[in-house]
Parts: sequence; structure tokens; C-alpha cells
Amino acid sequence: MSTGDGVRHIRWFLFSGGIATLVLAAATVSAWAQFRGFGGMGPPPANGIFGWLLGQQAFFYQALAGMLRAAKTNGSAYWGLMGISLVYGVFHAAGPGHGKAVISSYLLANEETWRRGITLSFASAVLQSITAIAIVAIAALLINATAQMMGDTVRIIETVSYGLIIVIGARLAWVKGKSFHAALRKMHAGTEAANGDPPVSIANHPAARGVTGNLAEAHSCVTHGQDGHMHGEHAHADHAHAGCTHHAHQHDDDEEENVLPWGHAHGPEPEELAGPGGWRRGLSAIVAVGLRPCSGAIIILVFALSQGLFWAGVASTFVMGLGTAITVSTIASLAVGAKSFAKRISRRPTGYGVLVLRGFEVCAACLVMLVGVALLSGYMASEQMGFF
Amino acid sequence: MIHRFVGLIAVAFSGLVAVTASASAHPHVWVTMRDELVYAPDGSVTAVRHTWTFDDMFSAFATMGFPKTNGTFTRETLQPLAKVNVDSLKDFDYFTYAKIDGKRVKDAFAEPTADYWLDYDAKTTLLTLHFTLPLKKPVKANKTLEIEVYDPTFFIDFAMAKSNPVTLVGAPADCKVATEKPPDINFPTTLRLDQALVTSEANIGMGASFANKITVTCP
Repeated sequence: MSTGDGVRHIRWFLFSGGIATLVLAAATVSAWAQFRGFGGMGPPPANGIFGWLLGQQAFFYQALAGMLRAAKTNGSAYWGLMGISLVYGVFHAAGPGHGKAVISSYLLANEETWRRGITLSFASAVLQSITAIAIVAIAALLINATAQMMGDTVRIIETVSYGLIIVIGARLAWVKGKSFHAALRKMHAGTEAANGDPPVSIANHPAARGVTGNLAEAHSCVTHGQDGHMHGEHAHADHAHAGCTHHAHQHDDDEEENVLPWGHAHGPEPEELAGPGGWRRGLSAIVAVGLRPCSGAIIILVFALSQGLFWAGVASTFVMGLGTAITVSTIASLAVGAKSFAKRISRRPTGYGVLVLRGFEVCAACLVMLVGVALLSGYMASEQMGFF
Repeated sequence: MIHRFVGLIAVAFSGLVAVTASASAHPHVWVTMRDELVYAPDGSVTAVRHTWTFDDMFSAFATMGFPKTNGTFTRETLQPLAKVNVDSLKDFDYFTYAKIDGKRVKDAFAEPTADYWLDYDAKTTLLTLHFTLPLKKPVKANKTLEIEVYDPTFFIDFAMAKSNPVTLVGAPADCKVATEKPPDINFPTTLRLDQALVTSEANIGMGASFANKITVTCP
């Protein structure tokens, strides 16, 4: 190991450690800022960027209501309604309940691509729109339920959704914890073995990546991941990856670029997105985030219905979902981008670098879990259904 | 060079996460409020009588599934809804907070009296909730009483009615009432982003808020 390498390692360690700390601190602080009931939280700030964001949302929400009122008598208001729905969605995603924190942390913990981040964001937004529409359609049109009954239904869905977030976080924390442990052992092994190749962390092994995302293939992949780790650096190359076959391509890739344990920062492999495991891998996250409907959408849908404009409400809900997806996917992409950029800058992460990376992922996974617990216990503000 | 660049990215990203994740829910419900402060013969304040009118969207939402009689919702029909409202308001401290001589009093209010109700205006399609919150301990005339109405989570935007938002009922003749309205966020387009950022720094720790303040003093 040359001196240059050593300097690079230290630099990488500092960079990644710094970034990890900053990101996690920001995420934690902001998560806590959403908490209720601590120290008699006062009214929200009327000024600054938060006030501005709130103002924009409130403005467009009311404009939306105005457009719905207008659409009753004026057909051309439909276009305005769609336009405002989109803009409202973009701003509204800044508020709680649209999965920014969960999706971003999930992606950070999961060694995911930005394209997958966009897919996750859009899929969960579409699901969220569908849930809202289904709830209102069933409640109002089919069973003539009251808002209270609807609110109760939403609360049940909420509980399931928050529970799922905890499960996903716990799962990620467990898998990433094992990777962290593996990196730790690898580092020790690396120090003992003189001038060895830079260790390739098992967690970046495609098989292990499959583990973190795909519930269905968890078992077979876990075994491989473990094996790979036990038998040393490139043992995975010799493995028959039954159950993890869709990663075959990335595999070769890894072999070529094993200097870059993350390997795939350049973009997703086609099979990663469309392959048999591709869609399933993120499904749990999509469901966890998208299951819970947006209360704004529900109120707007009921109002549209009362104006005899249910279909306009349905269209508006989907366009709103599109808007929120744009914001959430932007944030998710930035999160992924920041991480992969940090890794690329640092060139050859070895030893400490990998350890820091794994530690960071464990923390991100814990954050997913923490957010779920906070939401479930009601300490973190989400959009309540008014006071029903 | 590259150090700084990375540092910059990290800071920018952290800021972004902080900004986006901590944004509160924007209001989904608008309430126009009128209040009465009820005085006892000895000149002390005994209760706050709220009259809250909801916006048309929320009114449509809240009345969903209730049957109309002659094109409107009767008080009797809406009574179960009024009960749900008043019962659930307990968890939110009725969005009503009291300060006596500048000091916040915890749990100042008892449960609402039984004479609460909702009425519906078929013409405006607006729903109005009426309820009375008795003070656990009447506030003596020589004290300054401040009543604040707001939703800490800002899901509900409370605003005072334009004319006569507060009435004193049976108050000593020399009692004075002052009201303080929160800044109007419904027309934020007049506020440019750069100005918003400037005011933000100026306001750190100052607790700028959306509270509606009612202050009564009886010298």
C-alpha cells in the first residue's frame, strides 16, 4: 500500500464520514421537527422558506377549489384545474406524507439507482392516487358512508402503512448490519493480508443487493451473500446463483470494475428495472408509501363529488400525484446522486471507506425504521383527517 | 478544489433534506371564527364561546353521507357530527390556549358545555360549529387574559371574521379587547422568495406564528 493510497483512504474516510453525518443529522433533525408533543411546539413559522412553501401550497389548494367551483359552470376551467393540480402536487409533496423521507432513506440504504428512485416515486404516487379515489368512490358512491367512517378507514390503512415502513426499515437494518459486520471483518482481514487487492464488500455484491430489496428471493440470496463473504473476495464468481439469476449481467460488470464496489453508479441495468425481480424489489416500499392516501386528495374528491364533478376530481387527483412524484423523485435522485458522487470522488474505497459506507447504510435503514415508529406512535405529524 | 465541491454538495443536500422533510402540512381546512368572552356578574371571565365557520370544501366533506331535509341539513341531523367534532377537539386542546398576565396556563379550559351544535347554510353551503369552552378557573377582571386560537400542525387555518370577531358578553364597561391577526399566507404571491429568506433569518427564535390573539384588559 503506497503513501498515496493511504492519503486517499483517509480523505475518502473524511469525505464519506462527513457526508454521512451531515445527511443523517439533517434527516434526523428534520424528522424531529415534524414531531409533535415535544416541548410544547408552537405554531409553525409564518416566514422563511417554510412559510413560503406553506403559502404556495395553501394558495394552490384554494385555487384548485376555485377551479372546481368554476368547472361546474365553465367547461374551459377543466384545463386550469389540471394545470393547478400539477403545480399543487409539486409543492404539496414538500409537506409530510408523500414518502420523501422513506423513499430517500430506503434508496440510500439500499444501494439503489436514481432511475429506480424515480420509478419508486412515481409508482407510489400513482398508488396513493388510486387509494384516495377508491376510498372516496366506495365510501361516497357505494355505501354512502360519512366522513367519519372514511377517516376511520384511512386510520387503519395508515397503521398498516406505517407498520410496513417499520418492517422494511428493520429488514434493511438487519441486512445492512450484516454487511457492516462483514466489512468490519474484511477490514481486519485486509490489514493482516499484506498488499492484498482492495476488498470488495459483499454488500455490493449483486446477490446481496437482491437480498435487501427482494423479499421473494431473500433466502437464496442471503445464503449466497454469506457464502461469498465466508469464502473470500471473489468467491461469488464461482457460485451458481440460483434464485439470483437476473443479476447475472451486473455480475460481469462487477468483475470488470471491482475497483468500484458500488459498481453501478453509471446507471441501472435494464434487467434491474424490468427483470423478474426488478419490480418486486421495490414493491414493498411502493406499497408502504403509496398505501396511505393523501387527505387533501380525499377532501378535493368529496368536494368534486358534491359539485357533481367526480371525474374532474379523479383526473385532478392523478395529475396531483404526477406533481408530487416529480418532487419526490427529484429529492430521491439527489439523494442517490449525492451518495454515488461521494463514492466516485473517493475512487477506491477500501477498509475504512467501505466500513463508513456500510455504516451509513445501516443508519439510513435505521432512519426508515425510526420514521415508521414515529409515524405509528403519532409523534411525527402527518396529515390528519381534520378532527374526525 | 474537489474537497470543497464535495463539501458543498453535502451541505446542499443536507439543506435540501432539512427543508423538504420538515415542511409542515399546509392548511386543508379554513375556519372563520367569531368569539364571545362570557363574563360573570363579578366581572371575571368564565368562558369562551366559539363560532367557527368552515370553508365550503370542508363543509362538503364533513356533511358527506348525511341526509338532507328540504334541501338542507337540520341541526338534529348534524348533532352526531357536532358530537364527533367536539369530542375529537379535546385531543387538540380545542385549538384554544390561554395566557393570564402573559403566562401560559396549561389545560385552562374544561370540556365544552352540552349546548354545542352545528348549523348548515344551504345558500352558502357552509357549516358552522358552535361550542362554549368554560375556563376551569374564572379569570379575575384585574388580570390580562389572552386567548390564542391556532392549530400547531397547521392543518386548519383559523382566521378571525372581518367585522366584530370578538364580543364581550356581560363585561364591565371599561374592559377593552384587542385582536391580533396572523399574517395572511393565502396571498403569498406578493412575498418574493428572496424576501422570505431574509425575513426568515430576522425571525429566528422570534416565534412568528399563525396564532389569532384576543387580549382583554379591564383596568
